[in-house]
Amino acid sequence: MNCKKVLIVDDEKGFTSMLKLNLESIGAFEVKVVNESKYALMTAKQFLPDVILLDIIMPEKEGPDVAIEIRNDPTLKNIPIVFLTATITRDEVQSQNGWIGGNIFVAKPSSLKELLASIESSIAVK
Amino acid sequence: MLKEEKMSKKIKKDYSRPLDVIVVEDNQVDARILESMLLDPPTIAKTLKIANTLSSAIKILEENEIEIAILDLNLPDSKGIDTIVEISKKFPKLTIVINTGAYEDELGLEALSLGAQDFLLKGKYNAYVLNKILRYCLERKRLEIELKQAYETLKDTQSQLIESEKMKVVGGLASGVAHEVKNPLATILYGVTYLIEQVKMDDDKYNLVLNNIKEATNRANGIITDLLDFASLNKMNRTKSNIVDVIEKSLSLVHYQISKNVIDIVKDYEVDLPLLMIDVNRIEQVFVNIFLNAIFSMEKNGKIGIRIHSSFIFDNKQALPSAAKDKFNPEQKLIIVEIDDVGKGIPENEISRIFDPFYTSRRGSGGVGLGLSVSKNIIENHGGSIVVENKADCGVIAKLIFIV
Repeated sequence: MNCKKVLIVDDEKGFTSMLKLNLESIGAFEVKVVNESKYALMTAKQFLPDVILLDIIMPEKEGPDVAIEIRNDPTLKNIPIVFLTATITRDEVQSQNGWIGGNIFVAKPSSLKELLASIESSIAVK
Repeated sequence: MLKEEKMSKKIKKDYSRPLDVIVVEDNQVDARILESMLLDPPTIAKTLKIANTLSSAIKILEENEIEIAILDLNLPDSKGIDTIVEISKKFPKLTIVINTGAYEDELGLEALSLGAQDFLLKGKYNAYVLNKILRYCLERKRLEIELKQAYETLKDTQSQLIESEKMKVVGGLASGVAHEVKNPLATILYGVTYLIEQVKMDDDKYNLVLNNIKEATNRANGIITDLLDFASLNKMNRTKSNIVDVIEKSLSLVHYQISKNVIDIVKDYEVDLPLLMIDVNRIEQVFVNIFLNAIFSMEKNGKIGIRIHSSFIFDNKQALPSAAKDKFNPEQKLIIVEIDDVGKGIPENEISRIFDPFYTSRRGSGGVGLGLSVSKNIIENHGGSIVVENKADCGVIAKLIFIV
């Protein structure tokens, strides 16, 4: 099976390490974590992920700013971004079928199953 | 015409208007004197009723449109201050002028504080003075009523303001807390998921502990989500929708609890109901909340009745909160949804608190007390109202009023 590369950008170290552990244990993902959002663009350029899981509220540089940098970079602009955030509820996400303003959103906390479904659908529309 | 001239003309006109008067006096001579002052030209009264006891005065006041009472305090069936208390309690809009043979300063002041407008001393006034006093008293009473109404409105507005400020504080706090708490919850959830999925242990207790942690995490997330609802109530996404579809969807969301508790659902839906501009998800949330409250209030084999009908009037205006009383005028078509159960009802001393944030009767079994409070806010943000009452026999009825 072709291993998909996932970049997680989130300042919550406990959360990112748990998520990395879960995704890697499935055996279908190669995962890299960035806890300081200012390094997100640089890491993405080196790692060239298939999908980026991006937190919204982070110190220094917020998720939407990171998303703009990625969209403006010719080598990264087509990489799907899944916003992973505690600022919205699962109901709000589900009422929009997971898509808000052309981006996929996953509310924290969501089950691993829901997150995997979002990762797969974002890669599918790439 | 100048404003002042207009005003003086209006006062003049009012000043000569014949009055509807009752004289409450057991002394026939005194009554006769007042009668001639009021009826002899220039006539002061167009209606004059005379009563010689308090009980007969009350009967006359109940049956006639009387605006002013000239009241002797010592009657065969009532003495002194009690006479004013009784009359002003029963007829708060009536202007009362005391007519007495013996003036005492303290009695006079007390009479005024209890609702009388002035104090006449028998034999010390003539028709001219009486006329002037009655007119002034009427005007003072009118101003007093206006002032009382303004005070009531002010009190209502103040409590609404306090309520909305409270909501703002809870809302602001909720969104801040929600973000901070949801991140660690997500960490716990993925940690537990990893242990459940990847670390296989034969010990049943290990799995029990993990599943308990997972369930507790999900419950904590549910509580945070309820809190977030406070913060995001203004974000409405309204579409033209059929209320029946929304209720049916809400019922399907609580299907598990309904079948588990063997609840009978009795539906009475009016056909061809007009569509409503509502945020479907929010209104679903309200109905799910009301259904769950009904289910949890009943033993097994209970019954929930759902009646939906349209109307131009809400027949139980008294039950509405004061701010909502004037909201529904007879030209507005309403859709009224009534949901009733046969549960244990709400203790009468708690019924006024059910919409307060954090009020719950299920604290021990996981209730946070935000459901009804959020529901009320959602319905009011749609311009509607919600009333919850105990039924005469048993159980509770929730009435939700939507403006079409």
